[in-house]
Amino acid sequence: MTKQIQDAYIVAATRLPVAKRNGMFRYVRPDDMLAFVIKSVVEQVPGIDPARIGDVIVGCAMPEADQGMNVARIGLLLAGLPITVPGITINRFCSSGVQAVADAANQIRLGLADVMIAAGTESMTVMPQMMGNKMSMNPAIFAREENIAIAYGMGLTAERVANQWKIGREAQDAFALASNQKACAAIAAGHFKAETTPYTVRENLPDLKTGQVRVRERIVEHDEGPRADASLEKLGKLRPVFHARGSVTAGNSSQMSDGAAAVMLVSEKVLKEHNLTPLARFAGYAVGGVAPEIMGIGPIAAIPKVLEQVGIKQDDLDWIELNEAFAAQSLAVMNELGIDPGKVNPLGGAIALGHPLGATGAIRIATVAHGLKRTGGKYGMVTMCIGTGMGAAGIIEAL
Amino acid sequence: MNKLIVKKAAVLGAGVMGAQIAAHLANANVPVVLFDLPAKEGDKNGIVHRALEGLKRLEPGPLANKARLKYIDAANYEEHLSLLGECDLVIEAIAERMDWKNDLYARIAPHLGASAVIASNTSGLSINSLADGLPEAVRPRFCGIHFFNPPRYMHLVEIIATRGSDAATLDALETWLTSRLGKGVIRALDTPNFVANRIGVFSILAVMHHTAAFGLGFDEVDALTGPRIGRPKSATYRTADVVGLDTLAHVVKTMQDTLPGDPWHAHFKTPDWLSALIGKGALGQKTRCGIFRKQGRDIQVLDVGLQDYRNSAGTIADEVGEILKIRNPAEKFAALRASAHPQGQFLWAIFRDIFHYAAVHLENVADNARDLDLAMRWGFGWAQGPFETWQAAGWSAIAQAIAADIAAGKAMSDAPLPGWALEAGRTGVHTPQGSYSASRNAYAARSALPVYQRQLFPERVLGEGAATPEKSGETLYENDGVRLWKLAAVDAGIGIISFKSKMHSVGNEVMDGLIAAVRQAEQTLDGVVIWHEAPFAVGANLQQVGEACAGGHFDMLERTVEKFQRASQILKYAQVPTVAAVQGMALGGGCEFVMHSAKRVLALESYVGLVEAGVGLIPAGGGCKEFAVRAADWAAQSATPGELFDFLQPVFQNIAMAKVAKSAVEAIDMGFARPSDTILFNAHELLFVAIREARAMADAGYAPPLMPRAIPVSGRNGIATLEMMLVNMKEGGMISAHDYRVAKAAATALCGGDIETGALVDEEWLITVERQLFVELLKTPETQARIKHMLETGKPLRN
Repeated sequence: MTKQIQDAYIVAATRLPVAKRNGMFRYVRPDDMLAFVIKSVVEQVPGIDPARIGDVIVGCAMPEADQGMNVARIGLLLAGLPITVPGITINRFCSSGVQAVADAANQIRLGLADVMIAAGTESMTVMPQMMGNKMSMNPAIFAREENIAIAYGMGLTAERVANQWKIGREAQDAFALASNQKACAAIAAGHFKAETTPYTVRENLPDLKTGQVRVRERIVEHDEGPRADASLEKLGKLRPVFHARGSVTAGNSSQMSDGAAAVMLVSEKVLKEHNLTPLARFAGYAVGGVAPEIMGIGPIAAIPKVLEQVGIKQDDLDWIELNEAFAAQSLAVMNELGIDPGKVNPLGGAIALGHPLGATGAIRIATVAHGLKRTGGKYGMVTMCIGTGMGAAGIIEAL
Repeated sequence: MNKLIVKKAAVLGAGVMGAQIAAHLANANVPVVLFDLPAKEGDKNGIVHRALEGLKRLEPGPLANKARLKYIDAANYEEHLSLLGECDLVIEAIAERMDWKNDLYARIAPHLGASAVIASNTSGLSINSLADGLPEAVRPRFCGIHFFNPPRYMHLVEIIATRGSDAATLDALETWLTSRLGKGVIRALDTPNFVANRIGVFSILAVMHHTAAFGLGFDEVDALTGPRIGRPKSATYRTADVVGLDTLAHVVKTMQDTLPGDPWHAHFKTPDWLSALIGKGALGQKTRCGIFRKQGRDIQVLDVGLQDYRNSAGTIADEVGEILKIRNPAEKFAALRASAHPQGQFLWAIFRDIFHYAAVHLENVADNARDLDLAMRWGFGWAQGPFETWQAAGWSAIAQAIAADIAAGKAMSDAPLPGWALEAGRTGVHTPQGSYSASRNAYAARSALPVYQRQLFPERVLGEGAATPEKSGETLYENDGVRLWKLAAVDAGIGIISFKSKMHSVGNEVMDGLIAAVRQAEQTLDGVVIWHEAPFAVGANLQQVGEACAGGHFDMLERTVEKFQRASQILKYAQVPTVAAVQGMALGGGCEFVMHSAKRVLALESYVGLVEAGVGLIPAGGGCKEFAVRAADWAAQSATPGELFDFLQPVFQNIAMAKVAKSAVEAIDMGFARPSDTILFNAHELLFVAIREARAMADAGYAPPLMPRAIPVSGRNGIATLEMMLVNMKEGGMISAHDYRVAKAAATALCGGDIETGALVDEEWLITVERQLFVELLKTPETQARIKHMLETGKPLRN
């Protein structure tokens, strides 16, 4: 285990319900979503003076346009934090949210801060293209064969993984169905309640018949993505999207979504000062690289590293949030590492719940932290693959 | 009423016809309220919403583009009848039940606008009986208005007057339908099934009768009754499958019920085999099984003798095929009649009986023979109506032959031919003065409605004797590919450039002629239009390209491409306005000429696209150059003038996938035409309007555009970003290695070559880049194979 000065503790973690792209957050700006979760997480720990927050680190995979201009600083100011609190936006694509938690924890672990906020926000609705507002590839990518996979779309890499790890269409669809079923059951049982802050969507819409502005308000409490009517038959009818003879479909891929989450971490000193009961201790985080053309297998490069760092075995993990970018890569990672499927995504994953890129890591930290508390588990992990060929894994320990 | 103004229309009934009529009204910039019954559950407009969703999936598409759907409001009879008050035209298109229609009329009557025109799209019910269900005040504004399916594409609309219809209102309606909706209007009499269906359905019954009589297969009959005799490719039985066998049976039943006195009444019944199919739910295309069905890759046809399906063959006997090649109609018909082969006898029999039927019923169903013939052309897609076919084959000889067959009991009915048909000295029914009216025993001239003056070369029936465009006007210049001429009576200062090549393909002689004609027009005329009948141009003359490739004459090919580019540039920078009058296909080089003209007048049914990728090439008649320039223009008008890529990406996709606009509206959406261009719904008005557009531009002091300088291009980064898409498509098994190469060449040409992003170029630079890439592609064996395959089969090769 790597040396550190002190531990970092998660004392609050909350998120918005996740919306489908162009869904219930169609008109909600990503910086507003961020401001809301920052405000919510601060309110959940009322004793701490917000001026003590050392930094607000926000993960965002496409930090531009509506979520550009250092969205972290804009979000924290809109949340009403003191102007003395700084903010930084970071980007490691799909792991940005968990990366933010790790970076925030590290500030505390190094003794550089006592209170930190980590967050993630992403609106895929405002993104005109999957590659951001202005696509521009480097010609050098195409000059050498070994670099061409940088240009591969994520779905194509999932096809490569499916082929290489022999994950068939039926297995992928079954995995996707289970994800939807688990998510629907979890919503019905109220298992997401503790980690979710309901959000009031307020929309000013023109009423063309009366010429008046119609204000529509509704409180959203649940994730929009899970499909209660999913079935193997319906999933089986979907055509492959990324390869003419492939197996990866819209049904067994993660959904494009809008969402945000925030986590407050503190040092032991602050814990004692305020007599706080932490949700969890931040135990460790690691990233690793793999070939871009099989980026989905990325977690296999990160999970062994983080387990070694934390000093535990895979079997010690009680809850694994393995981001379901694609069923193919999720199954390949599980097979490759021998992960117990019973511990993976007990409340469903991104295929059902959605995957708002840079926010997902922070969202799933909230899920694991509250989930471990509810179930009495000890170690939980959030792990995901990352575009251009990386994997990330972060572990927390319930206390 | 002198003029019909339709600011808003209503269509009652969101069935197949109603929804598509609504779509076509929206195509013509008329907002529509589409009504149907309130849904019993959920949204009360649910039935209409489902119909509107269906419009998106129909092929061929009823909408000029999908955005038109926004102009059709869903409504139901329970909640929204008050909306009818805003509608200037109300078209009823509900199910063919007199009682249902009468009930509906009673419900809508109190809500109708005081001057609204009300019309029923019934295909067979009595219009006068329907009128009786309306208040007296409405009756003068009521008539039948019978569209054909699919209404966007079928030219025919039958207007049926009632006893109380106001003549001026019907004239105004005819004018509006002709020009605004682009329809061919026929005035039909109020008899069951009106004109086209009466004759057309009888024709199907006659074909069925003789199929059985001569023991032919359905596939064999379709081979005989398709394009070989001037009828649509779907011929008879395939058409029945498309229409729906249940629908066909319903129409036949209508004839059986409503035409008891028809001498052919005994034949108005559904054959047993057809009833059996319907009983089994095999209704044709909509159930994927009917007279024909697809089994894997095979097309199978029902064989009545086998009581089962067999693989479809449909061969025409050599001796019959030889007869069908005879160009002289009189000789051809004589040979058919004399043929001992069942196929020959069959063909004679179906023609004989349709001639017989049309002659006997002309007096009752149409004002004159021209109306009947045009109805069959426009409503059933026949190249000629029955009377013109008869007239071409020698009226008297055919009449005698029919009479002889009637006497011999060979005809389907023993009703005698009417006296006028057997008159001594009769050579036909169509003359330059007019067409024969049996009811009036007179020759009816064409309509004098002013709207028809907009049709400089209307569709003529054989025998009318009017000059064809090729023989009209004053020739100013001519070579093997092009004729420059003018119609002094219309505008002596505007020239007309017409291509003479087959399908108006662009070869050396067309390019030479075009360049010479525009140069001459600059000196002697005020403007030019490029106009000829459809298609506008199917692209470069591939035959010439293929031959030059085979001979390895790549230097010559490069010079030819250079000439092509010069022709485009001359059109763009001519000192007089150049107006392209477009109808039908404008593909490849044809599209490039369209793009480079100073203005475009497009028929709605214009199919425009840069399809060179299909033969392994890129647009090089200035097409890539023009889009590179336009992308820079579009970007310059945006908040980020240096960001061209968003404008290039859709263009690139269109070129790489050889996508063709399926309407003039889509041609504007895709950038081939411009929003300021003119769209006409009636292609017959193209020349008239194009001349006027050219005149207006000339009179406004036309000056050619300045040749742009300092054009920013997307350059290397743009190429790489487009290449990213290609990598994914290739790795995803969606395109071949050669598709990749061709598309990358298109990307390179659109981005101005392998130069820095944002570098400034001129048109000459862009033209050189596209030309060099084009010639490089020509040198590849894969492109040469594609060209060869296209020439041999007419279909693209995927290699």
